[in-house]
Amino acid sequence: MAKLRSKLGWLIAAVALIGAGGVVFLRISEPHPLTESDLPAHVADIEHGRILYTIGGCISCHRPPKEDTARQADLPSGGKPLATPLGPLYPPNITPDPVTGIGRWSKLDFVNAVYLGISPQGIHYIPAFPYTSYHRMPLADILDLQAYMAALPGVSAPDRENRLPLDVLLRRGIGLWKRLAMPASMFQPDPAQADSWNLGAYLVNAPGHCSECHTPRNILMIPDEKRHLAGGPHPEGKDRVPSLRNLISRGRYADAEELTSAMLFGETMGFDRLSSGGMGDVQANLAKLPEDNVRAIAEYLVSLK
Amino acid sequence: MRFGILASMALVLALTASASKAGPIEDRQELMKANGQSAKVLGEMAQGKSPFDAAVVKENGDALAARFEKARSLFVPGTEQGPPETYAKPEVFTDAAGFGAALDQAIQASQAVAAVTDQAQLGAAMGDLGGACKNCHDKYRRPKD
Repeated sequence: MAKLRSKLGWLIAAVALIGAGGVVFLRISEPHPLTESDLPAHVADIEHGRILYTIGGCISCHRPPKEDTARQADLPSGGKPLATPLGPLYPPNITPDPVTGIGRWSKLDFVNAVYLGISPQGIHYIPAFPYTSYHRMPLADILDLQAYMAALPGVSAPDRENRLPLDVLLRRGIGLWKRLAMPASMFQPDPAQADSWNLGAYLVNAPGHCSECHTPRNILMIPDEKRHLAGGPHPEGKDRVPSLRNLISRGRYADAEELTSAMLFGETMGFDRLSSGGMGDVQANLAKLPEDNVRAIAEYLVSLK
Repeated sequence: MRFGILASMALVLALTASASKAGPIEDRQELMKANGQSAKVLGEMAQGKSPFDAAVVKENGDALAARFEKARSLFVPGTEQGPPETYAKPEVFTDAAGFGAALDQAIQASQAVAAVTDQAQLGAAMGDLGGACKNCHDKYRRPKD
């Protein structure tokens, strides 16, 4: 009888512990979106928004698959599935179509999605959407991006629902992960460096989200900042992503000028490195940037030791 | 007699020397380097960094097409792995038809470049050629660290 009572005691203790753990889990994994009063007063700069959209490479994941010739190829009406550890993930329609796209989103909805990875329904997005990098952007820049994207033509194309195994639980798990993985602050310029270097550093590390693939991750899938941009396993599973450090001393490019040309012109000038492993698409985006932005990126990258 | 022995020894030496220097992997890497040089010459002309010269365009366009044709015989079974280190993906060998089609695209684009007669056309033709290079490198070549 005493034995049974102690067993029952253990059982109650275990249930209580799990329950308490659950409450703590729900608490700390809860999404905390910004509210209207968090948004700065800002007159949006659409051209700046175009630059951010381009370096952000939004089109690369959100453009329709090649086979889908019915939809316009240069509008982000929903992309081919990404292979993630959680299964295939369908990038949604982010054109301003009011029914199938994001046309009904408020500016606040947009900021919460891009800056915090929280949907208008208050659900954590899967971090294949690189909001951990976008979290380094000032809100004013995210509003510029919003203004540019809101001015794109809307495309009617319904999304494929992204359901994960154990969806509700896993999405909350992402909330927990975000607490560790979100950068502590937005991009901070280095006053010891030139403005152009800081522009390059910002474009690379915030909207450009180069780190998502070029910085290796630790066991918790958090980028290991000690090995910032030092290369790592390819997110699609095979091959490696090259290091972006010591590009000159390793003989990858002669100087920042040559790297600038490689980013702007790629294969049309005989620069073949920016073609493999998905970088061909990235180079096509870089080629659409103002030249001084590309030059700034090169200046920053060649300084990485 | 002695001369004959010496001569045949020299011949064998020369043959082994050339064989050890140039296997299909080295050959295709040299070939791609030459292609990069041709693309650079043409690209600079397309951007107006060097004066337009139809003869140089034809020469490099033809050379590119010929080298891509030659490349077919250099990605052969048994050369999937080096040494020297090769960046060819296994798909080059497992999807020979697709790889062949990517080379066809590059050959056609090179021939179109060779046929260009003025600077205005060269930009578009180089855009197509760059697209063909990129297409093949994306599908069939590993990233280089």
